Amino acid sequence: MPVKWLMHWQPHQGATLNSQILTEACQCVESQLGGAKDGRWKTALTFYRPMLRDASTPGDLPRDFLGIALHDHPGSYFFLLRAHRLILQADSSIQSLMEKLQSYKARVVLNFEGFQYRLGDFQVRVGKCGPSLSEALRGIMMEVEYLPLSSIEKSRQILEDFFDIWQDIVNRRHWPGHFILIETKFCRLWPSRPLYSSTYSGTICQVAWPN
Amino acid sequence: MQQPQAAVSGAAPPQDPPDSGGATTEAPPKQVALAMDRLARAARLIADIRLGADHLLEALFLAADGPHHSNKTIQIILKEEASMRQHFQDLRALGRQLEDSGVLNGSLKSRGNSWGLHMPLVCPDGAVVAYAWKRQLAGQAGASAVDRTRLALKAFTDQKRRFFPLLEDEPFGHSHDGEFGVAKKQKTSHGLPTSHREELNEVKTLSDILTDLENKVPNMKIFTYQRLDWLKRASLLSSSANENSIDPSKEQSMHNPNKLRSGSVNAVAVDKVAVIELLVPSVFRAVVSLHSAGSVNPDAAAFFSPDEGGNYVHSRGLSVHHVFRHVTEHADKALQYFLSVDANTSLSLLLRWIYSYQTLFTKVCSKCGHLLLMDKSLALLLPPVHRPYRQTCTTNFNQSHSTPSAKVQNVDLNSAYHIGCSDEV
Repeated sequence: MPVKWLMHWQPHQGATLNSQILTEACQCVESQLGGAKDGRWKTALTFYRPMLRDASTPGDLPRDFLGIALHDHPGSYFFLLRAHRLILQADSSIQSLMEKLQSYKARVVLNFEGFQYRLGDFQVRVGKCGPSLSEALRGIMMEVEYLPLSSIEKSRQILEDFFDIWQDIVNRRHWPGHFILIETKFCRLWPSRPLYSSTYSGTICQVAWPN
Repeated sequence: MQQPQAAVSGAAPPQDPPDSGGATTEAPPKQVALAMDRLARAARLIADIRLGADHLLEALFLAADGPHHSNKTIQIILKEEASMRQHFQDLRALGRQLEDSGVLNGSLKSRGNSWGLHMPLVCPDGAVVAYAWKRQLAGQAGASAVDRTRLALKAFTDQKRRFFPLLEDEPFGHSHDGEFGVAKKQKTSHGLPTSHREELNEVKTLSDILTDLENKVPNMKIFTYQRLDWLKRASLLSSSANENSIDPSKEQSMHNPNKLRSGSVNAVAVDKVAVIELLVPSVFRAVVSLHSAGSVNPDAAAFFSPDEGGNYVHSRGLSVHHVFRHVTEHADKALQYFLSVDANTSLSLLLRWIYSYQTLFTKVCSKCGHLLLMDKSLALLLPPVHRPYRQTCTTNFNQSHSTPSAKVQNVDLNSAYHIGCSDEV
């Protein structure tokens, strides 16, 4: 699986977040980097909270966990238990199962969606983040993928260079903010796909609750 | 001076039908030959015109010397005028014929059934390229005529060797009466041993080459296959590429234990080796095919992502990724170059050159200092995909008949260039 890096938009102090940045970022990708629009993408993130039926709850139940439906793995659903550092991969029908079980309820659902672009060997996704039920904009993010390589170490320099090139382009535009690269500490024991989903969850936390 | 005129007018009717209708029924090689012929005649006519102008000037000087020369001068001038007029007419007619046959505007591609040959191309600086092979012309606008023809001849030689192997009298490594400069060089180099070439003079077997190489390439895995076995392996690769795990130890265990490892080459099986796979884990996979099984003649080479798999992963296939496609294209040129310099060492040079690509995604360009660069003409972000393959001693071609090729091993393997930063074609 190709390696992906995520960036999220950090507005400057006092500047507000608006979707103008999103359209301009898309424009930049198209004109400056020569990207060809490839389609739309959507990832949904769900926060689960336990439904407590009685007062005596066993202490080792996880208090909350995240569920992610990633855009490039439509048949799977991932659960992340961050406190326990566990990742569970399941079939996507588990969502309906969870609803029937009623043991954990979906409290908040965040949608990440936008356009994806193809730039030669790179695939770039630019999108906005917001709750599923309202049109409010919580954040803007960008994802870069280098298709020929699937090793994290080997592709590090290439993606760093790409990030530098992107920063150059952004800085010339004098937007009220900048893109920040999500730094992740990769654990060697984890296979790559769940790593990506945990990176996503890290992003979400930074994006949805910037404070 | 009268002779070329007569030759032109005499030869014109039978060979050149007045309209293009006759030319299209001729076979493309004949068309190419005709075009070359016409170009030569045009060059002669132009020379004649220049001579005629000189004569006119001479006559004027003669007239200036004194009035007693006036009669003679007038006769000379009249004679010159008549012949110049004739020359110009002939040149015009020839020019029209050349235009019709697509020489001056290089437009023969649109005519079908050209057998892959193209009409000789007259470049803007007046040089004529006899065989407009696409590879040689790309980016050659600034090259000199000598370089162009040399490269065209080399490409022709290599293509001939590749597609008409039966035309070769004997296999490589033996001296034979070849008509090409390359063959001659081999002959002389065998007869003149120097200290540089002693270790290269003996024809190495495939297992020698692979064993040598294995000692020098710690990061690269080398596997050899029979031709059909490689196709099976390539299909296996595609099924594994779809799986989740990218655990490298698992990938190794997938290799069929019967596959040859260069360290323990089975003498019998070496005869059947036709495909060499070079894998630098997580960086690239290169597939090199040998012309006849067990020989040391590399035939083709191609680069792929280590995750790619499928029927198209073979030495003449192309990767789906742009970066590997460009490396493959560059590898084609390198292979042709190594073959043309010395066919005996071409395989080991090629394999070592391929090994230099282990830094494909880490080494910055030696010219601009960046790793990733937007190539303006291709509109792609690429790392430096060019690694130089020419040897440092460039006197090989200038003295091809008299001196043995010296210092064949000094290829600069430490630099890398982006496509746009590279000086080479």
